[in-house]
Amino acid sequence: MATMQSEAPPLTARNPDARTVKRKRSFAQRLRFDWPLLVLALPVVAQLAVFFYWPSAWNVIAFMDYSPHRPFWDNPIVGFAWFERLFADPYFVPALLNTLKFAAAHLLFLFPLSVALALVMHSVVSTKVRSTFQSIVYLPYFFSWVLVVTVFVQVLGADGLVSNWIMGLGGDRLSFTSNPDTFLLLAWMQWAWKDAGWGMIIFLAALASINPSLYEAAAVDGANRWRRMWHVTLPGIRPVIILLLILQIGGILSVGFEQYQLQRNAIGYQATEVLDTYVYYRSVIGTEGASFGTAAGLFKGAIGLILILAANKVAHRLGEQGIYQKS
Amino acid sequence: MTANAIRTAPRRSPRKSARPVWDEEPSFAGKAVKALFLICYAGAILVPLWAIVATSFASEDALSRAGGNLLLIPTDLSIAAYREIFSGGALTDSLLLTVILTAGGTAFSMVLTVCGAYALARPGSVLHRPILMLVLFTFLFGPGMYPSFLVVQKLGLFNDYLSLILPVALSAFNLIVLRSFFMNTIPGELLDAARIDGAGEFRILLTIVLPMSKAILAVVALFYAVGYWNIYFSAVLYTPGLEVQPIQVVLQRMLMSTQGLPEGAAATAQYQAQGEAAPTAALKMAVVVCTVLPIVIMYPFIQKHFTKAVITGAIKG
Repeated sequence: MATMQSEAPPLTARNPDARTVKRKRSFAQRLRFDWPLLVLALPVVAQLAVFFYWPSAWNVIAFMDYSPHRPFWDNPIVGFAWFERLFADPYFVPALLNTLKFAAAHLLFLFPLSVALALVMHSVVSTKVRSTFQSIVYLPYFFSWVLVVTVFVQVLGADGLVSNWIMGLGGDRLSFTSNPDTFLLLAWMQWAWKDAGWGMIIFLAALASINPSLYEAAAVDGANRWRRMWHVTLPGIRPVIILLLILQIGGILSVGFEQYQLQRNAIGYQATEVLDTYVYYRSVIGTEGASFGTAAGLFKGAIGLILILAANKVAHRLGEQGIYQKS
Repeated sequence: MTANAIRTAPRRSPRKSARPVWDEEPSFAGKAVKALFLICYAGAILVPLWAIVATSFASEDALSRAGGNLLLIPTDLSIAAYREIFSGGALTDSLLLTVILTAGGTAFSMVLTVCGAYALARPGSVLHRPILMLVLFTFLFGPGMYPSFLVVQKLGLFNDYLSLILPVALSAFNLIVLRSFFMNTIPGELLDAARIDGAGEFRILLTIVLPMSKAILAVVALFYAVGYWNIYFSAVLYTPGLEVQPIQVVLQRMLMSTQGLPEGAAATAQYQAQGEAAPTAALKMAVVVCTVLPIVIMYPFIQKHFTKAVITGAIKG
């Protein structure tokens, strides 16, 4: 096989068998062949340097008393003072708890919904039904949060479609889209509407890659539909489930900004405040300074990094593949 | 093979059944429950979308008679709302801005991503591993909202439309999707043959690799285009002071003006101060239709390639 595998050595015109020659080639020699690739990589490196690594480096101001009005090196280093202040802030801990609550709800109630949808879809034999349904449920994934919130207000809001039907039948006006007590349910419905369909795409692909002869063998051995699902289907998609769980756990503090910011006025900040909206309202447009906002963001980023590495390690311990390249 | 399958096989032969012979036919109740579930799920997505389209074509009279802000069946159709959107006012400006932003941003992002993906598609090339690590690390960590905001300010891009494109121009996910495609689907022999014939990397990329990757390029371009079209957070953060805002921001303001909240009253007052009427339900829904329509039009052409893109990205990346 001469196709380029991910681990295969480079095959170049002058080195058809690079495996044996590779060690002899100096950096300068390789550079002579590869400089066009470096030129092509340059814009990406520049973009990442300016808009990812430079802001990442700015996180040091979380440990300084930063003021934009003095030279950078004149800002005094204050250690973890901003983090202490953060945890003493009466609004921070509720925002953190809200974030964890939404992330947990996403993990416990939306992730399984995507798996269940994929299983139902997989069991549908007719390709026509399958492709029609897939076309419909993938669509809302591409809608903005502004649009999703608008749709929910129009349908389930106080003057919405459902509310009018209920009042027509002599019932009370709905207050679902402005009720802080039921916001978790509302958020879940929005996820189910927007993301659950898209979430199943990867499980469907995993399901399609299961060898059908396994099902046949199980059926011949007398396993019914449910037993086949338990003993063939679910083990078959386990690596994908674990991979996505790791990614979800890594992003547990990143529940997003728009969904919560957009409904903040209708629901109230107590129920909708998450870490991202907290940084925005408290620091970017609020009274707290740059160091405070940076400390809150760094807390989120650092926990996310630790969690994703830890989850990956646990997956490896359990004999799973995890996120392969980064381990 | 069950007796049932043998009996029905010849009769059903023209309608090729995909169900394998060892799989028993599900019970009627099972099928009914499944069908009901699928219909309800699809209905929950389609009915609101239909109601929005129907309302956008409704006249004010029809709406006030219905007493709500959404209609399922439009009576006396009117295109007044659409006429207002395209009449050259603030809404036209906003739509125009969003179209330009989407076209320019997508083009820029595609150039960046294609170049980066091809540059990283040959393991073992000079500096391959360090550059790949630079890209992959972005999956693990986020620099945070405030530092990103600071950098945009320091670059002088605050309240500049460029700040809606440059910071989000590269998606590492899309880059990895493309890179996996270049590495695994395009035959290496072909590229080697081209190199032996003396073609340089740029020429190989333009004349061999890109023409062979049209489908995946379309999907990646759609992902980027949707991202730019839906831009809201960046506009709230980086360009709050500009007069012409992306369409999502405008839609959000219109929505606020009818939620019966203090902010809503303020927004309504603002409209009145500008000598404009507060947006009607039909106008709002027409704006919604305008924000959805480009996505819905592009979607069928690209949808069939989704699975491939997501799988190469998620499994290989």
